[in-house]
Amino acid sequence: MNLLFEIGTEELPAAYVPRALADLARLAAERLAAARLGFEAIETYATPRRLALVVRGLPEASARVEEERRGPPEKAAFKDGEPTPAAAGFARKAGVEVADLTVKDGYVWARVVHEGQPTTSLLPELLAGLVRDLPAPKKMIWGAGDGPFVRPVRWLVARLDGEVLPVEVFNVSSGKTSRGHRFLAPGEVEVDAETYRNALYDAYVVADVSQRRQRVVLETTTLALSEGLEAVMPEDLIEEVTHLVEWPVAVMGSFSRKYLELPDEVLATVMIQHQRFFPVRAGERLSNRFIGVSGHQPPDLDVVRAGYEQVLEGRIYDAYFFWTEDLKTPLAEHHKKLAGINFQRGLGTMADKTERVRRAAEKLGGRLGLDEGVLREAAALFKADLPTQMVYEFPELEGIMARAYGEKQGLDPRVARVLEDAVRPRGPDAPLPETPEGALLAALDRADTLLGFFHLGKKPSGSADPYGLRRAAAGLVRILGRMGWDLPLEAVLEAAAEAYRDRGLDVSPDVAQAARAFIEERLESLLTEAGLPTLAVRAAQKAPSVYGKMLRARLVYELMQRPEFAELTRLYKRAANLASQGESTREPDPELFETEEEKKLHAAVQPTREAVEELLQRGSELLPPWDPAAPLPKADLTPLEGPLAQILALAGALDPFMDHVLVMVDDAAVRENRLALLRGVRDALGELGALELLGA
Amino acid sequence: MLFQDLILKLHEYWGGYGCVISEPYDTEVGAGTFYPTTFLKALGPEPWKTAYVAPSRRPQDGRYGENPYRFQYYFQYQVIIKPSPTDVQDLYLDSLRAIGIKVEDHDVRFVEDNWESPTLGAWGLGWEVWLDGMEITQFTYFQQVGGVDVNPVSVEITYGLERMALYLQNKKHTFDVEYAPGVTIGDIRRDFELEHCEYNFKYANVEKVRRWFDDYEEEARRLLELELIHPAYEFVLKASHAFNLLDARGVLGHAERQAYVQRVRRLAEATARAYLKKHYPEVAG
Repeated sequence: MNLLFEIGTEELPAAYVPRALADLARLAAERLAAARLGFEAIETYATPRRLALVVRGLPEASARVEEERRGPPEKAAFKDGEPTPAAAGFARKAGVEVADLTVKDGYVWARVVHEGQPTTSLLPELLAGLVRDLPAPKKMIWGAGDGPFVRPVRWLVARLDGEVLPVEVFNVSSGKTSRGHRFLAPGEVEVDAETYRNALYDAYVVADVSQRRQRVVLETTTLALSEGLEAVMPEDLIEEVTHLVEWPVAVMGSFSRKYLELPDEVLATVMIQHQRFFPVRAGERLSNRFIGVSGHQPPDLDVVRAGYEQVLEGRIYDAYFFWTEDLKTPLAEHHKKLAGINFQRGLGTMADKTERVRRAAEKLGGRLGLDEGVLREAAALFKADLPTQMVYEFPELEGIMARAYGEKQGLDPRVARVLEDAVRPRGPDAPLPETPEGALLAALDRADTLLGFFHLGKKPSGSADPYGLRRAAAGLVRILGRMGWDLPLEAVLEAAAEAYRDRGLDVSPDVAQAARAFIEERLESLLTEAGLPTLAVRAAQKAPSVYGKMLRARLVYELMQRPEFAELTRLYKRAANLASQGESTREPDPELFETEEEKKLHAAVQPTREAVEELLQRGSELLPPWDPAAPLPKADLTPLEGPLAQILALAGALDPFMDHVLVMVDDAAVRENRLALLRGVRDALGELGALELLGA
Repeated sequence: MLFQDLILKLHEYWGGYGCVISEPYDTEVGAGTFYPTTFLKALGPEPWKTAYVAPSRRPQDGRYGENPYRFQYYFQYQVIIKPSPTDVQDLYLDSLRAIGIKVEDHDVRFVEDNWESPTLGAWGLGWEVWLDGMEITQFTYFQQVGGVDVNPVSVEITYGLERMALYLQNKKHTFDVEYAPGVTIGDIRRDFELEHCEYNFKYANVEKVRRWFDDYEEEARRLLELELIHPAYEFVLKASHAFNLLDARGVLGHAERQAYVQRVRRLAEATARAYLKKHYPEVAG
C-alpha cells in the first residue's frame, strides 16, 4: 500500500525546508520501523506551503513478533516450587499466565507475543506524531494556542491508497484534498500517493524540489542566453529562490546604465541580498540586467518586471548615493573616523586597534620578507572603509569597498588589493587572503582581538561565544597554516602583545599563553574534523609554527597507520622519561659503552635523526602549506616510505637496550653516558612531536 | 490612489471586518507595536481586533529627505487580531484588493522575516510581504510581549503606507506621493523632516535627554508601584524615545547602548507583568 501525507502550511522559511524534508524522512523511517511497519521507499516533496511524504510498499499490518522476556532469578520466583509474588508480578506485566512461565539458566522467562496491527489503525497517531515532533530551530504557536510548528498548519492530507486516514493535530483534521497555487489554481485538489505530483503540477505547483530547482536554473540561464548574456547563479541563492516559489517564472529586467560605475560586488550584493535577483554578466563584468524569479505567472509579466525594476532601481540608487558620498572623502580621512567607532570597552576604538595591528605588522613584516612599502601603506589604511556609509549599510562589503574606493582615488593597486585581502576570511569556509601582506594584517587583527578579550577575562565558556573568539582563532590558524610561514605562533602573539604594551595596556605572558592554548585547540578541532587523529595533532603541537604543527600531525598520522609504530612509541615513552632524568648535556662517549646494546643504539641514532629530517623535508614538498579548514591534501606519499621505514627501524635497536641495559647504575659516568644516549634518541624523534603522548 | 484614500480604504476594509478603528496615540513611538492598543492588548486572554494609523518616529532613520524611502517620521498602518484567525493570509490579500491592488496581476510573496523588539522584550515569527519585489507589509504572529509568552496569539499586520503609495502612484520619492488632491507628502512633511533631522542629529541636548531618560524611568517605576499601568507605560514610551534620540546623536558606545536597551526592556517587562497582575491575576499566576 502507498501512503501520502501532506502538511499544508502558511509560507515556510526558505532556509528551513531542506532540513525539514531530511528530518521528516528520517523521523518517518524511524517511527515506521518502531511500529514494525516495513516499506520499500520514502519520497519527499516540498514547496513554501507544504511538506509531503510518500511512503511506498507498506504492508496491510505490522509484523507479528515473539519475544523471550527475562524475569526474576528462579530463586526469587519460586519458593518450594510455589510461585512468589515476584513471579506473579512479572507474569502480569508480561501479559501471560504464571503457569506459562518457563525456567532457563537460573531465570524465569515469559514468551510475549506482539500481534500485528492493521496499518490503517497505526498510521493516524504515527503521522500526527511526525507533525508534533518535526524539529525546527524556532517554532511558534498560533490562534488560541495551536501548535507549535514552524508556521501555522492549515490542512493535512493523509491517504493510504484510496482511504483517508483520520489524522488530527493542532485542531486540523486530515482530508483528501490539497491546495493548488494561491493565485493560479486557488482551490482544493484531490490527491493521493499516485496522483500527487501530477495533480499538483496541473494546479501550478511544482512539488518536486529538484524539478523546481532545475526549472529555476533552466529558466534563468535560458533567459540570459536569449540576449547573449550569462546569469550569475550562486548555489545558495538558487536554493533559496527554489524554496520561495511554487511555480517559478523567470523575469528579466534592467536598471540605469550609469549605475554600472558601481563595483560588481556592490551591484551583486544589492541584487542578491535585498531582492534575491540573479545578476547577469556580459563578459567579464556585470551588465545592467537582472533576473528575478516570480512565484506566479500573471496575465502580464511586464507589470511584475516594472515592479522589480522600480524596487531595484531604488535600492541601487541608495548604493550609488553612498558610493558618490563616500568617494568625496579620501580613504585616509575615512580612516581617521575609526576613532569614533568603539572596538571594545577597555580595548579602545577601532583606531586604537588598527594602530596596534600596524605596529605589530611593522615588527613582523621584515622577518617574513614582505614588501614593506606596500605593507606600511596598507597598514596605515587598514579598515578605512569601516566608517563609510556603504559598509555601514552592507557590512559584507568591508574590504571590497576599501579596494574599490582606493583604486578610484588613485591608490597603488597592490595596496588596494591588500586592503581587500586583509578582512578575509569572512566565514569558517570562506576564502583566505592571497597576498602575504594581507594575510599578515588579517592574522594580526585576529591575534589582537584574542589577546584583548582574554586580557579582559572574556574567554568563551561552554558553547557560548558572544565575541566570536573561536571564529577569530580558527581564522588565525587558517591564515597562518595556509601561508606556511616559518613563524612561531608565540611570535605572532608576542608582536600583538607588545603593541598592546606600547599603547599602555599590559597584556601578561599568562594571557598570551592562554590565548595560544585556545588557538591550538581550534587548530586541533579543525584538523581532527579533517580526519587526523586527536593524538597525532596533540603530539605535533610541539612545533612552533602553525604549518609545522599541521605537517607533523599529518606525518605522525602516517606513522600511526603502521603496526610497528605502537611498539616504537611504547619504547620511546620510557626512553624519553628516563632521558629527562639526566643532568648534563654531554654527547655520549663511545669509550664508556659496556654492552653491545649501547653500541647498537648509538649507531642507530644518527640515521634516525637524518630520517626524521628527510621525512620533514620531503613531507613539506609533498604536502605544501594548506588551509586546515579544508579537506586534507591528497598526495602520493610513497617517496616517504624510505625515511618512515628507517624511523620505525629504531625500535630494533631501542628494544634490546631498554630490555637489557640498566640505565640508573651507581657508576655516575656510565649512568650519565647512558642517559645521554637516550637523550639523543629523544631529540632525534622529538623533532616530529611529543611522541611520548602516543606511547601506551 | 491618494495617500489619504489609502488610509480610508483600509479603515473601511478592516472596520468592516470588525476591527476597532482607533486614532493615533499622542506620544512618540518608534512603531505601531508600541501603542498600548497593541502592546498591552496583546497580553491577556480576551479577543481583540483593532486597526489604526501609527505615525512613527525613528530619529536615527532620518536622511534629511534625501533617501526616497527613509525618514525619521512616517506612517504605519497597524492591524491587530487576537486570536489570529485561520484565514488571516486571505484576509490580508483581500485588503490589498480593497485598496486596488489586484493581487492576481502581481508577484505577491510571503518571505520569512522574524521580528524582534529588544526594547519591548517582544518577538514573533512571520514574514515580510513582497509585492513585485517591494516589501510592503510586515506580518507577525506575536510569541512573546513584554517578556511574557502570549496565548492566545495576536497576529500583527503592519503596512508601510508610504511604500505602498509609492508603488500605487508609481512615484520615485515619498515626498512626491500625492496625499490629497494637489498636495504631496513633501508639501506637508518636508520642513518637519529637515528640522527634525537637524534636531535629532545635531541639536538634541545630550545632557538633558540623558536626564529626561533617567526621570522618565524613575517616573515609570513610581507609577508601576501605584499600579497606574497606563500612565506608567506612557513614561516607558517617553524613555524609549529619549533613548532613540541619544542613539541618533551618536553618543552611545556599543556597551552603553546595550545598557539603555536593557533599561527600557526591563521597564516594558515590568509593565507587562503589572498589567497582567492587575487585570488578569488568574493568568499572571
